[in-house]
Amino acid sequence: MKNVDFVDHLSLAEMGENRCGTVAQIEGDSRFISRIVSIGLTPGSAFTLLKNDGRSPVLVFCRDTVIAVNHKESSQIFVKVES
Amino acid sequence: MSEIKTIALLGQPNSGKSTLFNNLTGLHQRVGNWPGKTVEKAEGSFVFDGITYKVVDLPGSYGLSANSEEEVVTRDYIQSGKADLVCILVDASQLERSLYMLADFVGVRMPVMLVLNMMDVAEAAGKKIDAAAIEKLLGIPVLGFSAAETKRYPEFFKKMVSAIKTPVCLDSGSLRDELVGDKTEDLISRIEVALGDFEYGVCEKIWIAEKLLEKDKLVCGIVNEMLPFARKNAIETILDSEEGRDGGILTGEAKYRWVSKIVRESATPKSINKVFSKWDRIATHHIKGKFFAFGIMVVSLIACMILAFPGMGIGFGLQPVLESVVERVGNALGIWPVVISFVKLVLVGGTCITVCMTSFIFSIIFVFRILEEIGYMARFSYAFDSWLSRLGLQGKAIMPLFSGIGCTAGAVCGTRVLDTRGQRLLALVLLWAIPCGSKVAVVLFLASTFFGSAAPLFGIGYVALIFASFYLSSRLFGKKLVPQNERVGMIMELPPYHKPHWKMIAAMVGRSTWGIFKKALKMILMVAALFWALSYAGDGNVENTLLYKIGNAIEPVTMFFGMRWELFVSYLGGMFSKEASLGIMSTLFNHTGEAFSLVTRVAASENLGEALASTITKPEALAFLFASMFNVPCVLAMGTTYREAGSFKWLCAIMGYYVALSLGLAFIGYHIGLLIF
Repeated sequence: MKNVDFVDHLSLAEMGENRCGTVAQIEGDSRFISRIVSIGLTPGSAFTLLKNDGRSPVLVFCRDTVIAVNHKESSQIFVKVES
Repeated sequence: MSEIKTIALLGQPNSGKSTLFNNLTGLHQRVGNWPGKTVEKAEGSFVFDGITYKVVDLPGSYGLSANSEEEVVTRDYIQSGKADLVCILVDASQLERSLYMLADFVGVRMPVMLVLNMMDVAEAAGKKIDAAAIEKLLGIPVLGFSAAETKRYPEFFKKMVSAIKTPVCLDSGSLRDELVGDKTEDLISRIEVALGDFEYGVCEKIWIAEKLLEKDKLVCGIVNEMLPFARKNAIETILDSEEGRDGGILTGEAKYRWVSKIVRESATPKSINKVFSKWDRIATHHIKGKFFAFGIMVVSLIACMILAFPGMGIGFGLQPVLESVVERVGNALGIWPVVISFVKLVLVGGTCITVCMTSFIFSIIFVFRILEEIGYMARFSYAFDSWLSRLGLQGKAIMPLFSGIGCTAGAVCGTRVLDTRGQRLLALVLLWAIPCGSKVAVVLFLASTFFGSAAPLFGIGYVALIFASFYLSSRLFGKKLVPQNERVGMIMELPPYHKPHWKMIAAMVGRSTWGIFKKALKMILMVAALFWALSYAGDGNVENTLLYKIGNAIEPVTMFFGMRWELFVSYLGGMFSKEASLGIMSTLFNHTGEAFSLVTRVAASENLGEALASTITKPEALAFLFASMFNVPCVLAMGTTYREAGSFKWLCAIMGYYVALSLGLAFIGYHIGLLIF
């Protein structure tokens, strides 16, 4: 994986509810990447974070779809948050 | 000999594939297994204009990567080139995301047709999609459709016929264009050069190169096997380069760019209506969501009971009436008693009991179908995933498991909501341990008969044992059915809520219930006839029955488990139905009735309790109680399990497991009982 400075990047798991953002980078094995890509989350895709209570799967709205991502896995998705 | 054409249905979960499949094939469908796989194979056929069309419903997957057994099956089938037409279904209301499947299909040289399903939902959401524009853009037949509306099927047939007559494949040029100017282009063309003259069925080199970049295990394996060392090395170098390592993401981005372009040119800008309603806020809350889901489960179960009530009423109500009619007519005509007994106890009783049992199956399939159709089933997954993933199951398995309290056989049919066959089989194994109402009644009756005020303790113990059995089952079966590497954390879509299409659901549920009824009737009649033959005695003396003789002969063995032959026969009867278990006990211990049958519903009378308590010792009672708790649920549960598992081997495995478990517990209970009492 590329070395990117994540100082101003958050992972999906750390993002606040009702904020918009774009996916910056996804980390994980090819299996995880293939799953997450096929459901619609790729670097550059814009989304709205609908729900993140810190334990339940994170809910994002992306490409017309509500997508649930397990909390643990959501920390492997790094995002740029719109201010 | 008429012509036969094969159509393969390909689509993501929730794309409406099964609706289309069911409406096309109606009663002409067969569910089995893909050879050598634990994946369900649904095939059907229909005739249109004198041509027979075979329809293969491929397992739902999000793309063509070979990550799960389902996806491998789907891909193998497509690559086999057996289909005359691959019909790709996408959800028009989520066009951009679901077109990914089509993007993943680019590079596969197979005749293809695109169905934009759920156009009605998309239109209701204010989205306009121009199917003709997409058709022009892609050069393949494209149809705007709504699989749930039967009146739209002529359009489908028209498109399908022309798609088969003039087959067209997707052109990979447009996707290649998307890769231009991207790092991927260089990667792809370098891999293509390294691949040289390598051929892989109907797949173009661009597709193979994409899959190599995505580290697809199957494609990597085949390339590794087939290519000469130098070229293999060249590919490995490319894949190991800095860009190559991110290949999966790069191809994904390119595919979505390709998709976005289509969407931009054919659909009105999406109206962003936030699909996250107040309902969903509650439904996905980590505490409230569970309570909410639990409420829905209870309401669903009650709805099932109400729906099943008419069928149960007819079955139970008709049985005594018909039996007395048979008896009177038979006697009046002077027909042999043996014939009257057979008609009464096998034909009439068997049919009535089948009606009763299938009515619950009907209601469970119906209610589940509606929950799935309106989109709530996925919310169950969300709410209970953290609990059930420990057993290796998806969250929505909670629904079939819970409805097992109502009826095991029906709940078995409900396991179809689960996504993979491994999940379904594991849920089936767990489900057999969950007692239905009748089983609870039998266990409580036995506990209170023998242990009086200590009966509640048995209730608590029973619940504890059920959970312990879950643990045991998931340890024993879980590893094989749901391999550890397939247990990724939940990544799924929460589909938007839909209005259910009542008519279509009713027709679909009616068809499958009718199919189940016919099979169940055959099986119940067969088992009832066999048992009747074993237990019939012309003079009504139990000692003259075959069953008595067999029972006595094997008693030394069954006593090992603490069961004298009467109890063992009741235990066997319990595999037919729980009522049969009580009925047999009534006959054997009260010496009532001319012959004992599996289908007469003898209520557990007070006499039975007294008779049992005076004959059976406490250790024996303990043994029988344990054996009853984990006995095979009933004959119909076996039948539906066979249908859902699609394999006789698996039915036998699950049965063997529960026979071993129940007899093992009986053995332990008996020998502990001998020490205590």
